[in-house]
Amino acid sequence: MAIATSQLPPATSQRTAGSGSLGRRIWTARWCYLFMVPNLILAAMFTFYPAVMSWYFAFLDWSGFFGDREWAGLDNFRLVVNDPFFWNAYKRSILFMVVAVPIQVALAFIVALVLNDSSYRLGTFFRTVFFLPVVTSAAIIGIVMTFIFSPFNGPINKALLQAGMVDRPVDFLGDPDTALWTVAAVWIWKWFGITMIYWLAALQVVPQDLYEAARIDGANRWHLHKDITLPMIAPFAMVIVLITVVGSLNVFGLVQTMTGGGPFFASEVMEVYIYRNAFGNTGIPRLGFASAAALFFGITVIGISLIQGWGLRKAAAARNQMRQA
Amino acid sequence: MSRSLTRRHVLRTGVAAGAAVAGSRYAFARAQEASPAPGAIMIPDNGVDLPTDDITFRWIDSGDLKALFYNEFHAAYQEAHPNITIQYDPLPWTEINQIVPIGVQSGDAHDIFAMPQDVPSAQAVAEGWVAPLDDIVPNFAEWKARFPVGAFMDGVHVFDGKTYTFPQTSSKRYWTMTFSNTQIMEQAGYDLSSQRLTWDEFREAARVVTEQGQGQYFGLILGGQSADRLATFVRNLGRTSGASAGGSAGFEDIDWRTGEFVYTSDEYIAAAELLLAINADGSIFPGSMSLSEPEARAQFPNGVAGMILEGPWNIPQWQRDAPDFQFGLSSQPIPNGDVNLPMTYEETGSNLLWVYANSDYKQVAGDMFAYIGSVDGQVGIMAATGGNLRAMLPEAVEIAQSSVELDPYASIALALYDEQMRLGPMVAVRNPESAAVATERQPLQPDLGSLMQGLMTGQVSDVRAAFEDLQSRANAELDRAIAAAQEKGANVSRDDFVFPEWDPTVEFTAENYG
Repeated sequence: MAIATSQLPPATSQRTAGSGSLGRRIWTARWCYLFMVPNLILAAMFTFYPAVMSWYFAFLDWSGFFGDREWAGLDNFRLVVNDPFFWNAYKRSILFMVVAVPIQVALAFIVALVLNDSSYRLGTFFRTVFFLPVVTSAAIIGIVMTFIFSPFNGPINKALLQAGMVDRPVDFLGDPDTALWTVAAVWIWKWFGITMIYWLAALQVVPQDLYEAARIDGANRWHLHKDITLPMIAPFAMVIVLITVVGSLNVFGLVQTMTGGGPFFASEVMEVYIYRNAFGNTGIPRLGFASAAALFFGITVIGISLIQGWGLRKAAAARNQMRQA
Repeated sequence: MSRSLTRRHVLRTGVAAGAAVAGSRYAFARAQEASPAPGAIMIPDNGVDLPTDDITFRWIDSGDLKALFYNEFHAAYQEAHPNITIQYDPLPWTEINQIVPIGVQSGDAHDIFAMPQDVPSAQAVAEGWVAPLDDIVPNFAEWKARFPVGAFMDGVHVFDGKTYTFPQTSSKRYWTMTFSNTQIMEQAGYDLSSQRLTWDEFREAARVVTEQGQGQYFGLILGGQSADRLATFVRNLGRTSGASAGGSAGFEDIDWRTGEFVYTSDEYIAAAELLLAINADGSIFPGSMSLSEPEARAQFPNGVAGMILEGPWNIPQWQRDAPDFQFGLSSQPIPNGDVNLPMTYEETGSNLLWVYANSDYKQVAGDMFAYIGSVDGQVGIMAATGGNLRAMLPEAVEIAQSSVELDPYASIALALYDEQMRLGPMVAVRNPESAAVATERQPLQPDLGSLMQGLMTGQVSDVRAAFEDLQSRANAELDRAIAAAQEKGANVSRDDFVFPEWDPTVEFTAENYG
């Protein structure tokens, strides 16, 4: 383990560039900042500004249409917490996350382990195949999936009927018991490829000498993964889970195109709820109210991220201990 | 009352004749020249000082039937004014509801737009979104005087004495006519050209067709994901069977005689139960609950169902997209008993258009509206749509019916509207300040359509209990919205929603407002 640590560049050389006053450090890294400017401007316009404004809107009684903005204080938040539809959507989003994320992360990990084996010759082909849905538009996938899951001549139902697994077509997207989970299955399939790539990247950084040493000590495949792979990639796992969790809360495109949140709100997750209120499909839009709901939910996501950040630090510390052992 | 056609018979002979006279499909006619043949689109010189530079004039609305006319009209207008390019954006309402407000807020709205569905016109006027037509339509007084008495209503078209929009076409139409697949229905033993189905017969027909289809087609298809269509089913069937009601802007289903909502009426509940029974029979196309309304009507020509309850805008769409599809058109299912009342409609005019207040080309809009509101323009609308859109000017209707070959389907539909619809009261006409109530309104969750979704999918089990809850929430929300509007200074009350003298069987005309 000492060898791996000694391969790092001397800490002092890293610190040299960052020493001195703030102004001097900025000046030293001026080209970095200069190249960041275009991206910062775009991020400020299209990410930071809308985010900050939505926080402001959350305190307004405002439809978003007209100029009559009124300061509402915490009224929108009171309405939000008293709205059963908000909590139902909230629960569905959390449920979606709790069910879909472990399945996707675990499946992607297993496939990544297989594809990471350099002796497996079709690895590149399968990586490409698994990644294809990632680069396909969620809306297009959603629309195509409505045909695939259609109870009338949809291929899934045809297969189920021919296999004798069902005696009448299943209305996957029109049945409240299956709508959300059908979307979840499609979401897992669509984003499976990117999670697999993350895992593959994580697996690349496990030092091969650890495996070699373990093999010399007589470790079998199971022990290699249990005692070396898993502990070494644990910090990456936290990051991958965090990214996947955040992704599982961004499912608007698929839900909207596949079910529209229905039937009767059965698949209405938070984003669809926010959209419905912000753009008023059934009445005057309530941008202030929708912003409050979004902010409230956003705080939840931040909370999850913080917990995971804590976990990440713990995992990194454990990994360092292992490397130094 | 049903007709089956292999494809559209209407060839707009009037348009062709007009084009022949002019030497091209469209023509730019001087006012002193001879009038064009009926239905031909000839852009007159109204003496308007139009831009001479190359400009792009932007126009957004919901397309469908009216796009048939606008496409021809825009082409003619561009030919008459080569420096003007018209960018026409026919988009779904969901898009309009977002694009127009964003455009207004950014100062870049379309020059002519359809008002988003949930924006009260009065509020849009008050906020300065739109320009009055008085100053931009040439010879405005003369132009306006052509429309029938009562066509321009305070609170709908006129605000503070200024006219902001005009009724292009009549809103006298309904969305639950029975369109049938002729072949399928005939095989099942039903000839809807000679028979109007009662509710019971409708259910039985759906069952028989489904049985006959053996999984290849079903009795009825509907777009259950579009909750408003489920609501319309209950509303229209419930009203004809005795629960007369009207209303708009989220406060539908009010019995004007009492000012009370009618959700708990036996008739509304029976209409809901009819749809649930058809669903329980297995007679509805599988997957209907995950189909949107446009998807359902696009599926219908594929022979997947015997019947669909829909509006007239399907006629040209199916004729264009599925020319070999044979379909019939007849009344919506009629009540089982002796009571068969007309439905109520509000003649605000359909397809209202508004001119963006900050448009640089308001005079172009005025010039266009001058033509659309002329007799020639109105005949042109009926000619281009085969009569599926009905002109507002009686003279134009007369000319079109006598001189332009109309789509036979349109004739059937027009006869149904005349027979089954009556003009109802409008709160906004009696008290324009009621727009403030519409602004304050918050949507009911769940509303009638959503509840029907819940009932159809088994998530809600008790129709009456659900409708009683809806009634209670509707009342509470109306009272709350009125109180909120009052707080902001609007002179409104629940009494504005009561018209004791209303008779659902006769027209409620301007004189009835007293």
